[in-house]
Amino acid sequence: MPEPKRRTRLRLIVGCLAVALIVAPLAWFWNASRLPASFQITDMGRPDFGGHAGHHDHAGRSLTSFTADPARPADVTVKLVARKEKFTLGTGKRFDGYTLNGQSPGPLIQAVQGQLVEVTLVNETVPDGITLHWHGIDVPNAADGVAGVTQDAVATGQHYVYRFVAGQAGTFWYHSHRLSHHQVAGGLLGPIVIAPKTPLSGVDTVALHHLYGGNRTVNGLAEQSVLAAPGQSVRVRVINTDNGLLSAWVAGAPFQVAAIDGTEVNEPGTVDNVAVPVPAGGRADLELTMPADGGSVRVQLAGAVSIVLGSTAAVAPTVPRPKATLDLLSYGKPAALGLEPANATRTFRYDIGRRPGFIDGRPGLFWTVNGHLYPDIPMFMVTEGDIVRMTISNGSGETHPMHLHGHHAVVLARDGVAATGSPWWTDSLEVGNGESYEIAFVADNPGLWMDHCHNLPHATEGLMAHVMYEGVSTPFRLQGVPE
Amino acid sequence: MRSFYRILAYVIAAEVAIQAMVMVYAVAGLGKWVEGGGVLDKSVMESEATPFSEVVGFAIHGINGMMVIPALALILLIVAFFVKVAGAVKFALIVVGLVALQIVLGLLGHGVPFLGALHGLNAFLLVGASLAAARNMRAAPDTITAPRTTSPTMT
Repeated sequence: MPEPKRRTRLRLIVGCLAVALIVAPLAWFWNASRLPASFQITDMGRPDFGGHAGHHDHAGRSLTSFTADPARPADVTVKLVARKEKFTLGTGKRFDGYTLNGQSPGPLIQAVQGQLVEVTLVNETVPDGITLHWHGIDVPNAADGVAGVTQDAVATGQHYVYRFVAGQAGTFWYHSHRLSHHQVAGGLLGPIVIAPKTPLSGVDTVALHHLYGGNRTVNGLAEQSVLAAPGQSVRVRVINTDNGLLSAWVAGAPFQVAAIDGTEVNEPGTVDNVAVPVPAGGRADLELTMPADGGSVRVQLAGAVSIVLGSTAAVAPTVPRPKATLDLLSYGKPAALGLEPANATRTFRYDIGRRPGFIDGRPGLFWTVNGHLYPDIPMFMVTEGDIVRMTISNGSGETHPMHLHGHHAVVLARDGVAATGSPWWTDSLEVGNGESYEIAFVADNPGLWMDHCHNLPHATEGLMAHVMYEGVSTPFRLQGVPE
Repeated sequence: MRSFYRILAYVIAAEVAIQAMVMVYAVAGLGKWVEGGGVLDKSVMESEATPFSEVVGFAIHGINGMMVIPALALILLIVAFFVKVAGAVKFALIVVGLVALQIVLGLLGHGVPFLGALHGLNAFLLVGASLAAARNMRAAPDTITAPRTTSPTMT
């Protein structure tokens, strides 16, 4: 009976072929996705010249030469010592994470606009190495603090000096940009406030929101009371250091959103009973006047932690989140942008999608930029002086707080609807699923700048592109996806 | 090979039941946590922390649904090629297809909640297909004796 035998053999061959059809492409994609042990960020990705002719080479001026004037003495000198340790949160809970000068959040750094800030970061006991990134401050590239891109991670026993001019008054924060999805969550962060040359009157307080392993805190506490007299004006600087959108609202007084991401809002309207969305990494300065009748005011962050303003005996009630959400696209009054978007010299698109695949041999459902997985994503090439327009579209199924280093961008339109409010300058922009934002910025800070999602685990999943000035090179090397 | 196929198919059906269990476990834990004063928002959802212990249910659901069950379904399909039972490949393909559909519905359900409802419904289809695959194996005779009429290339 030769026939059943032949059939068995044929069946086996067909079976093996079918298996090969399933396994071979998987193996090929897996292998193709593996990154070299170390590489330069300029080696990876596809140069996108934004409608310009141009060429991409690796030679050029090293980004380490983009520094603040080395001869100028510092006006503000800070030393931050980082440790990996167990510590007690302001809420009383123990937490195994990271501290700066023995505390987390790290100390508030204060400077006046125009001053030169010099921060010496010392790594005492963080085994993986650390850096500090000055989130929202347009620092010189050498001080940007991206491990493997603008510097090497600071190993234990080593230090690094960050120098920059505090060019813009506003609310900012600093955090590690080395294994950031882990180190930022673990507490390697702190606030920095740059005051205008003419001091603000009234009470000025920071409200830095952070989750320590599920323990929600504001300035490290569950609740903070701040003294404020009736009739006094108060500015509460909300900083979202977490990975998701934060809602802030005020109970007990109408308020204004005085600034977004460190830029003052032009003629902000007074609002009440409305929630202010603060994207991951973003800041919102809320300004209010204390009620004349001596009533207290509660600034609530996600309804979980608050700043209570008033007398020491103040008992402000909590209120549920207002149904309405403030839309910055139409908030405040228009003013000159200081750049002419119609004269844009580069036009980029930053389309965010999602698909299954491999990144560095790791299987998963990953984010794509312009249809491709990391590292096959665009390098947005610019030259100094360019006016850049970028359309960020998100069809990935989840929201993404997009953060551009070293520059502030102005929102021109959302979903084709032009901005009608105050110029909305941002460095941390929440791009919701299905949304499309058109932004513009001036390429005025040469270097190599990450342009990524600040939901930090997303960065490890490949949502980590960069803007690159032509003729700039880096001597530093990455081991994997920059984060 | 046959009992391996059968066991795999039963395991997939059991895995779908586990998926339902861990989801309800997590949602119930979330409800209890909120009752006790917990606040759920995007910050908490995007953190890798465990504000309440039952949150592990969401993690298990994700790992099971995105990794374990698709791997099991693919192994079932591979095994099916070597099992000499009529319908083995067909049922395995149905299982693989329903698993793929289940992943798509699960992911899209985050943006379009109604698709999440279909995700719940499709789970029943997947259990049914897995059980049918297993039973097909059980019902099959020990060896294939009858020549298949749909093999024109066999001479």
